[in-house]
Amino acid sequence: MSGKPLLIIVPLCLAVFMTGCGSSGIEFREREETAELIPPAQDYMEELLAEHFGSPTASVAWEKLPINYHAATATVDEAGESGSVTLANIGRTLPINEGQQILWFVDGSAHSGQVAGFDEDLNALTVSPPAGADQNWAPPAPGARLTIGPGETLQQGRLLYAEHCQHCHGVTGDGNGPTAEYLEPRPRDYRLGKFKFTSTSTVRKAQRDDLARIIEEGIPGTYMPSFKLLTEEESAAIVEYVRWLAMRGETELRRIEILTLDFRAADAETQEELDEMIQEFAEAKEDDFPNDFADETEQIADSWRVAQEESSVVLPKTPRTPSSPESIAKGREIYLSATAKCVTCHGESGKGDGPQTMQVAKDASGQNYPVPGLHDDWGRLIEPRNLTTGIYRGGRRPLDLYRRIHSGIKGTPMTGFGTSLSDEQIWDLVNYVMSIPFEDRAPGEGPFVPSESAPEATVAKSE
Amino acid sequence: MFWPLAALYLCWIAPERGWWFPSEAMSPLGQRIDDLFYMILIVTTVVFIGTQIALGYVLWTGARRTDPGNEETTWFSHGSHNLEVMWTIVPAGILLYIALYQIDVWREFRMRPYFPQEQMTASLTRMGVDTDVPGDRALAEVTARQFEWRIRYPGFDEDGNLLPLMTDPQPTDLYTVNDLHLPAGVPVMINLLSGDVQHSFFLPELRVKQDAVPGLVIPVWFQAEKSQTYDLLCAELCGWGHYKMKAQFVAEPEQEWLQWLRELHELQNEDGVEETDE
Repeated sequence: MSGKPLLIIVPLCLAVFMTGCGSSGIEFREREETAELIPPAQDYMEELLAEHFGSPTASVAWEKLPINYHAATATVDEAGESGSVTLANIGRTLPINEGQQILWFVDGSAHSGQVAGFDEDLNALTVSPPAGADQNWAPPAPGARLTIGPGETLQQGRLLYAEHCQHCHGVTGDGNGPTAEYLEPRPRDYRLGKFKFTSTSTVRKAQRDDLARIIEEGIPGTYMPSFKLLTEEESAAIVEYVRWLAMRGETELRRIEILTLDFRAADAETQEELDEMIQEFAEAKEDDFPNDFADETEQIADSWRVAQEESSVVLPKTPRTPSSPESIAKGREIYLSATAKCVTCHGESGKGDGPQTMQVAKDASGQNYPVPGLHDDWGRLIEPRNLTTGIYRGGRRPLDLYRRIHSGIKGTPMTGFGTSLSDEQIWDLVNYVMSIPFEDRAPGEGPFVPSESAPEATVAKSE
Repeated sequence: MFWPLAALYLCWIAPERGWWFPSEAMSPLGQRIDDLFYMILIVTTVVFIGTQIALGYVLWTGARRTDPGNEETTWFSHGSHNLEVMWTIVPAGILLYIALYQIDVWREFRMRPYFPQEQMTASLTRMGVDTDVPGDRALAEVTARQFEWRIRYPGFDEDGNLLPLMTDPQPTDLYTVNDLHLPAGVPVMINLLSGDVQHSFFLPELRVKQDAVPGLVIPVWFQAEKSQTYDLLCAELCGWGHYKMKAQFVAEPEQEWLQWLRELHELQNEDGVEETDE
């Protein structure tokens, strides 16, 4: 079915590509706030981001960030004969294949080689000289830190991202791709560095596994589909690219927040003030910015590094209480209690229609949002989950619901209750939440229709 | 002369190279559907080549009679009752034959009463499902949505017996996405739903294609001959992300399927505490 038609289609496609998007190029989009800065500050932002992140087609692997840019990294443990070395501390994202480039440093000077073969079982790598190597070329010595397939993970991640993710999440990862406007909820804007559904505690960022899980399972109830048929390596490459975009966005945001304080063009009322501002900027750029920027990025890099640590993962200490009418009743009590305050947003019957959804909320700058209701950190109106539907965006395992209640949903008004509720209480609450779609209903009775008045029998009984 | 020869050559080598022609069907009914396909292909090929030859004959012989001095006049066949009757009855006969010939395949493919219920019930009994419980005999509910396949399986009761799949979601139900697992070697039935627009459930290797229509629960049945992974695709342009609806259908022996379902049950009831694992 693929033989002859393909021959015709290929030239056609080429013609389309040539005329269509050949000239426009693919570029990262700057944040809107950049346009409000004075011109030298805009130039500074552009140079800064280009220097540390490059462009989508020529990206920079900035080693300060905790990202697996390369196919693999390893240390040479023992050196054998004819370029064969044994590796230790292998960190591998992509497979090690013949022909991949290898980089290492000896006394500060860079050396390179090629993968001539790799034995997975023995961790034995054969290094051959690169094309055009001189006679002094030598394979890496024990202790040398090897970079195998430099930048390949990021590169593959970008290609896969372009194929599967970009049309919604955008080239910059700002959730503003061409198809994004048709979607509700909108695709995630990575640039805040926040991901909603994580296994980590409230203040921590998302782990690699959290992102991989979302790619594999999708987010039910949203337009994020499942990409189950991607291989583990493909998924890992996309995860690295998404993390890289998130860190890029965060770096940009942090810098802009600082610059907006002092260097907004609109804040200068006269030409003299503007000149003064430009003068101040030139001084600050020389004196303060390099250190400030180093500190900011250090913090960003640390926050992602810490998220990856085992201690960041939220795991219950007590096993789940088996679901029983008693546990569900207790859960309902907690649901209504002043400690958990679930009702204020999710409503008495769990339909996501609590009084908070009618309240006018304030945005980050203290202004009232134009429409009443809950808003997320991206400034969008969001609805508390309707718990009667049985659709759980962050996963339907009891563990997933435990984590939602324990650590909250990041970037949303759903806060974590890990400190105010005990494990047992959270499990009762989980049991209650999981029972909501099946309230008052026997098998085969048809879809659950919540009654007009909120169920309150359980409260009366337990008090 | 080049193009007709090239076309003939391509037609000649196409089947053995696997071009255009589908690979061998992986289900008994699929093989019979293929037989129908090839029968129709042969009929249309014979008719096509026959009419082309006839056309060529008329053109060539007609051209010869334009020699100077030839006084033969054209025979106008238009309005010939005999010819009209002939080329009405012959194609009608062929079509009627095809229509009758395919009836039993269609019946087994789509008519609910002809679903091999006993074979499936026997399979369910082997797996310990109580087949007396009212409910669907389907083993999974497949919901197509933009742009993925969400699948719901029946779960296990407290004693670890597989429950029948109910029309409405149950607390015990198990869920996967883009990953359909079913027993191989026996007829299996799924319920097909759509969560939004029209999609089409397509198992190309099994020759199963059925539209998922919003608001309808459509039973679809098929039998995978071999235990292996098959493609599951959407065959109805359902939106801009239509191409994303790639999934897999894993057919495996009954007991392995049951085991997979048990693992899914464990996974889905995970509470993150190591000690609870028995």
